[in-house]
Amino acid sequence: MSPDQIRQQVEAIYGVMPSGPLWKQYLTYVGNVFRGDFGDSMLNPGQGVLSIIASALPWTVILVGVSLIISFVIGLVIGTILAAYPDTTFSKVMTGVVSFLSAVPNYLIAIVLIYLLADLNHFFPITGAYSNNTVPGLNPPFIGSVLYHAALPMAAYVIVSFGAWSLAMKGSVTTVLGADYVRAAEARGLGGRRVTQTYIGRNAMLPMITNLAVSVGYMFGGSVFIETYFSYPGLGFRLISAVNSRDYSLMMGCFILITVAVVVSNFVVDLIYPVVDPRILKPASRKARLTTPPPQAELPGAEAMNA
Amino acid sequence: MEFLKDFWRILREDKPALVGGAVILVYVLVAIFGHFFAHVSDLPSGGQAYLGPSLHHPLGTDFLGNDTLSEIIIGTRPVMIVGVVSAVIVIFVGVVVGLFSGYVGGFLDGLIMRITDIFLTIPGLPLIIVIASIIHTTNPFVLAIILSVTAWAGLARAVRAQALSLRTSDFIDAAKVQNLPLSNLIGRQLLPNVGPYVAISFLLAVTGAIYAQVGLFVLGVAPVSGTNWGIMINLAMNQGALYTSRSMLYLFAPMAAIVLLQVALVYFSRALDKLFNPRLRVQ
Repeated sequence: MSPDQIRQQVEAIYGVMPSGPLWKQYLTYVGNVFRGDFGDSMLNPGQGVLSIIASALPWTVILVGVSLIISFVIGLVIGTILAAYPDTTFSKVMTGVVSFLSAVPNYLIAIVLIYLLADLNHFFPITGAYSNNTVPGLNPPFIGSVLYHAALPMAAYVIVSFGAWSLAMKGSVTTVLGADYVRAAEARGLGGRRVTQTYIGRNAMLPMITNLAVSVGYMFGGSVFIETYFSYPGLGFRLISAVNSRDYSLMMGCFILITVAVVVSNFVVDLIYPVVDPRILKPASRKARLTTPPPQAELPGAEAMNA
Repeated sequence: MEFLKDFWRILREDKPALVGGAVILVYVLVAIFGHFFAHVSDLPSGGQAYLGPSLHHPLGTDFLGNDTLSEIIIGTRPVMIVGVVSAVIVIFVGVVVGLFSGYVGGFLDGLIMRITDIFLTIPGLPLIIVIASIIHTTNPFVLAIILSVTAWAGLARAVRAQALSLRTSDFIDAAKVQNLPLSNLIGRQLLPNVGPYVAISFLLAVTGAIYAQVGLFVLGVAPVSGTNWGIMINLAMNQGALYTSRSMLYLFAPMAAIVLLQVALVYFSRALDKLFNPRLRVQ
């Protein structure tokens, strides 16, 4: 092949001219991205980055989406109990457990689970998303296999993140319980159910819904550590394998997608929040939002809720 | 003095925080003086691999026959250095940006906050992983800078909000009337008021940085050379710790070291919270 032909091939494979000036490479890349062309994987020329990501996405959505909903629900229940009955034994024990778990990095929980449940006892499979002897599709053995393989990673995810949700809910409910309008409602003799559902429940849920919506955005980043350790073929796993094999085009593709998902979900939250909480639109409430709450060790950001 | 007395009284009442503080102190001492007591060699010593716990090796040995306890001790320093340096960077950038932005106001404030929003929105962990893989470094200071890339943004927003509410307060007006310079206004008037918030954020930034950096080593994104807890876990996983139950101590010792330190930091930060928020003490 002549040098010119080689150049043409390189350009065809990577979508950019590696010998060109940097700004030109960058502009070409960004231009292609806007057209939905992320180039080919550097390690497997001929395989588009987009198709690799598309094949990884469903697994991430299954794994993280389901785990997110499970931990959210568990968190709501536990948080409400912690706020309503702070002096019971259950609450004291649970507070200890949750604070302990919030200090344990998620990869350690994943390793412990693998070690105890999959290695020493062989209860669960530790790699892959389904076993090789099933045919992907809507058939019972395949679905069973998917659930069986997802059980441990999901458990790891839930163990890591339910504590953050519980504490967020607890803080939220506690704030609402101390509010004047709740006391006023009780003083007016409104029934217990009316107060708990309309006055306490709805107001306590507001920040939780926002957190959940933001977390849905982070969901697309997959769960880097958990997916890597369980070799679960989601986006997080792809990102790490691309990083470790220096597959730059795949790496950039994964990262762009993750970031775009987070940005879009934040945008959606900003759009729906005034609908959920009309107080935002009134300038009188502006002042109240300027005072920051004190930092709380137990209240991590949305990212922390995503293991 | 009054402040220290208060602090001691709260610590005495709050047992978990007291224990947490003691544990942090032990870790700091180990990080500073540990190298005098422990030695780790890179050479395998035959027949010593994966020994159980004994008087000679309290935590057993690793796959090369090194003493696990010595590795934990040696590994404390790099982890602590990166954690503390990263937290210092986060606090410095966050406080400076937040105070400046909140104090200046107007167009500049809006501009700075939009930039901060961008950093707030970028998913931190994937970004750190990508940067760390491109800049392959073992230098603890460079690593600390990488870890702080997005972490300052949240603090900057919070500090700005406080600065905004303080700006309209009487003592600032009084200082303005006296024509005090801007440096005095920010340093002497505003800073003491955001101090408590900053102190707690510092401890939390340390936990965050330790968590992320160990994760980098565990994943093998950061170069695996030398000895620290993350590298220990990485090696344990890659050297087949999962296939022999004799390696259990080697795998779990560094994990225990991390978790103990993180729990201690969290509990200690709660005591600070009580110290600075008198309202919490009543409960």
